[in-house]
Amino acid sequence: MPGSGIGVPMQAIEAHQLADLVGQFVSLLRDSESVVQVGQDGQLLDRLTPAVYPQDPEASAEFAAATRDDLLDRRAAEARIVRDDLESVLDGDVAVSGQLTIPVAHVDPWLRTLAALRLVIATRLGIEDEPTPDPDDPRLGVYEWLGYRLELLVEAADAEDDAAPSAG
Amino acid sequence: MSAPLVAPEVEEQVDLQAAPAVPWELVVWDDPVNLMSYVVRVFRSYFGYPKDRATRLMLAVHNDGHAIVATGPRETMEVHAQAMHDYGLWATVRRAGE
Repeated sequence: MPGSGIGVPMQAIEAHQLADLVGQFVSLLRDSESVVQVGQDGQLLDRLTPAVYPQDPEASAEFAAATRDDLLDRRAAEARIVRDDLESVLDGDVAVSGQLTIPVAHVDPWLRTLAALRLVIATRLGIEDEPTPDPDDPRLGVYEWLGYRLELLVEAADAEDDAAPSAG
Repeated sequence: MSAPLVAPEVEEQVDLQAAPAVPWELVVWDDPVNLMSYVVRVFRSYFGYPKDRATRLMLAVHNDGHAIVATGPRETMEVHAQAMHDYGLWATVRRAGE
């Protein structure tokens, strides 16, 4: 039925890998609620909540105090949506169809979660500082694969919007 | 010479009304991670910009390092900045002309 969801190709092994990554992301966000993040974990979350007033640390800190927890809560809620979609698919017959249908209401959570996963991995790889990471780092393959998944989803979502511009 | 007693109040009101409505800017900065197609989609879907404008803004971010994506009251720009952060874009807010 048109408008019920958008389909993207997804093999079972890919769905497993993505579900694992999203699960790690949910854990990272959950841990951020109970402990003060230090070291690299703190840096990972910093990239997800950048300073809004770089010239004014005090105003940035005020803004972060008022908004950061809510932002990370939204991140976690959306990551759980993605994880649940993947798990429901993994319980089903994705291996047969090779196709994952994402409900329209879940498309933005999917886009934002894939983009956030790339930011987290990029931070771990040091891509933000150094544009040419170690080509032998296995995480680089995951990062590029996530980019491919995100590109596919953007294309599918754009095509859905262009086909039904009045559907909202 | 003494001023009328009401003068300070009146002056205060006039001052408030005459205060320039300095607009604020939402700036999106280039980063090596976010995909070009994704950034265009964010500008289209969140701001409702036509595809051409969204693409021009994305290219400005990419080529110039940043672009002013929206202007308006400070509070509105802060709401936009939160939304951009939700999408993983690197967005900041500044007073126009800074």
